[in-house]
Formats: sequence, structure tokens, C-alpha cells
Amino acid sequence: MTDRMNEAWLLRAALALLAVGLCLMGTPLEALAHGVTAGDKGYIQEVSGVLLVPFAYLGAKHMVTGYDHLLFLLGIIFFLYRMKDIGIYVSLFAIGHSTTMVLGVLADVTVSSYLVDAIIGLSVVYKGLDNIGGFRRWLGFQPSTRVATLIFGFFHGFGLATKVLDYEMSPDGLFPNLLAFNVGVEIGQLLALGAILIAMSYWRRTTSFARHAYAGNVVLMTAGFVLMGYQLAGFFLFDV
Amino acid sequence: MTTINTNAPAELPSSRTLLRSTLIALVVATALLFTVVLPAEYAIDPTGVGRMLGLTQMGEIKMSLAADLAAAEAAEAALLQEGGAAPAGEEPTTAAASVADSSAALRSDVTTLTLLPNEGKEVKLEMAEGAVVAYSWSVEGGVVNYDTHGDPWDAPREFYHGYGKGTAVPGQEGELVAAFDGLHGWFWRNRTGATVTITLRTEGAYQGVRGP
Repeated sequence: MTDRMNEAWLLRAALALLAVGLCLMGTPLEALAHGVTAGDKGYIQEVSGVLLVPFAYLGAKHMVTGYDHLLFLLGIIFFLYRMKDIGIYVSLFAIGHSTTMVLGVLADVTVSSYLVDAIIGLSVVYKGLDNIGGFRRWLGFQPSTRVATLIFGFFHGFGLATKVLDYEMSPDGLFPNLLAFNVGVEIGQLLALGAILIAMSYWRRTTSFARHAYAGNVVLMTAGFVLMGYQLAGFFLFDV
Repeated sequence: MTTINTNAPAELPSSRTLLRSTLIALVVATALLFTVVLPAEYAIDPTGVGRMLGLTQMGEIKMSLAADLAAAEAAEAALLQEGGAAPAGEEPTTAAASVADSSAALRSDVTTLTLLPNEGKEVKLEMAEGAVVAYSWSVEGGVVNYDTHGDPWDAPREFYHGYGKGTAVPGQEGELVAAFDGLHGWFWRNRTGATVTITLRTEGAYQGVRGP
């Protein structure tokens, strides 16, 4: 009994932490002050030259506070138990988004960030549906989860690239700074992954996990649909 | 609830269950979008729930700020195009001069200022709308970041109208055309480790120099 109460308490603590994280996400990353752009963007516009640690920090911050990336990660590791599998899938995701982020910035790819973010929303829906067995039931086979992770990783990378381009980084030291930003993204991903794994392993230990896992993935799909609608509305309002 | 994450097809949730779940997810997402997200982000509020919750007001402010920003960017782009037609030079073109407010007497000044490491300072000219000032500034002892911008009289908080900015620049020359009555000029910041001196030369239709 005390054991179960303990677990319930830990789960609640994890949820509270998640809530605090969600509140922090709402903090504006930039604010227009009198004649000056404030926040991270303002900083980036003021500096030039190679600055590895600051850009690594910004990359990590972007990942830890990026709910779309975190939701997809949550979907990926939902049913992964072994550290080896987690390592493989997270590496595939990292390879995917690193490639397109660096290439996207260097080639100055200007895809609508709304469309890219809508596809990222779609990736969350896909993973939720995949987790509850939708594709196996409807298609009769399991579409490769590794290939899907890599392909959606490419799209997440384009999302990162559009954000980095919006920062208007100085061309002086762009490439090393970009790599540092990318390293930061991976560090942030590991930190976020650690938090998600802790919360998930407590959830899995509860007897109700099997029942709630299905509902959890339907909630994940819902969140993905909300992201898609939000971004598509932005696309039609501002980019068409 | 059905067991999941198994390879045996018989143990997968039924097609019906999956379809129902997907539909529930879609319906809940659509409801959230139209009552919460779209009102709060874009002031799109077909149900009226957003206004009841006070979220549509948030969306309206965001949309008006976005419109202001777009207008400012468009004005800046137009100005940059004008600047491209009359490239930076010593002599203001006659076409540009004719735009200048004829009531403003022409004057010229040389302003110097010193910036310690990390220090920022501003010099602004009092100009009438359409007035033209030819300027050049150079840095002695290093490079600076600059932000050329203007403020109308009684500028609202968070107002920003930019004419251009750059990082690690040793100097610049060009022509400033006031987009409105008010103060127009330069903000410089020294992000180097050494003290630098900036010399600014201005010539044109303005009433006075404010700062540094």
C-alpha cells in the first residue's frame, strides 16, 4: 500500500515538474523593447565570431523548451524499455534533425516555418497512432519505425533551421556556431529524454499503465492534431 | 482495455476501436483549437468561447502587434530600396533633396563620442517627415554594432522603426530619410574589449542633435 502511494506521489511530482516546464515555455524568448530586440534573438544579433558555449546553451534551451520535439520524443520511447533501443531511436532522430538543420541554415532554405511545424505536429499524430497499433491493424504490417523516426527527424531539423535563420546569425563564425548550437540541441535532447524516461518508468510501474497507455497515446494524437491546426491556421493567415 | 504493443494481430485493438479513438482525438483537438488556441493566437473565435475566456483579446493584441511589425518591415524595405537608388555618396542627389522639408534650414555637425567596452550610446537628430540627412560615421580603435532607427514624437512604448543595423562594423555612410516627424539616428554598442571613439558627420535638413 505504502509502495503504491509512493509511486502515486512520484507520478504527481513528475506531473508538477512537467507543469512548471510548460509554464516556462510560455515565457517569450524575445521581446521588442524601445529600438532594441531583447532576449536570445537580440543577443544573437549583437554578437559575431565564434562563440561555442553560448550557442550550445541556446541549442539546449531550444530543445528543452520545444514542446513539439518533446512530444515526438515521448511518442518514440513510449514502448521502448531497453536502453539499447532507446539509444538507436534517439540517435536516428538526432541524425535526421542534425542533417537538415545544418544544411537548411547553410543553404538558406526558406520553407514556411508554419508548414514545417504542421508536419512536426503530424509526426506526433503518426507516432501516437503507430503506438496503439493503428498501422499494423489497418495496413496489416508494421511500417518501419526506424525509417519513420529518421524521416520525421529530417522535418524536425528543418523546423530548427527556420528558427536559426530567424535569429539572423552573423556570417562571421556561422558554421562553428551552428555546430555548437547542434551539440546543444543534442545535450538538451538527452536532458529532456532523462526527464521523460524517469516519468515514464514510474508510470510503467503502476498497475494501471496498460490501461492508461492506450489513452495516453490518444492524448498524444490529440496534441499532435492541435499543433497541426495551430500551424496550418498560421500558414493560411500569414504565408498565403 | 485492449492490450497493445504486441506482434500478434489478433491482440491489436480492433479497427473500430482505433477509428473511434482517432475520431475522438480529432474532435477534441478541433474543439480545443476553435475555443482556445485560435482565439488566443490569431483572434479567430467562431464560437465566442474565446472571448468569454478572455483569450480572443490576447489574440487581437498579438495580431495588431504582428500587423505593426509587418508595416514597419515594409516601410524599412521601401526605405532601403530608396537608399539603393541613391547610393551612399558625398553629394545628396537632387531628387532626394527635393523631398526634404523646405522649411528646415540645412545644417551640418560633427559629433564625437567615446564608448567603453560594452557601453551603448545614442545620437538622434530632430527631423521632419521626408527630411533628408547625409551622414557618415567611422570608428577609431575598433568596430561597433549599430542600429539606425527613428521614434516619432510621443512614441508609444515598444515602438520601433528601424533603418538598418549591423554587427562589428568600422563605419558607414549614407542618407537618412525621416519616415515621420521625430527623432532619427543611431544607437551604437561597443562589444569589443577596448575603448573606441566614433566620429559622426551629418549634413542636411534637421533642427538639432540630441545626445550622446
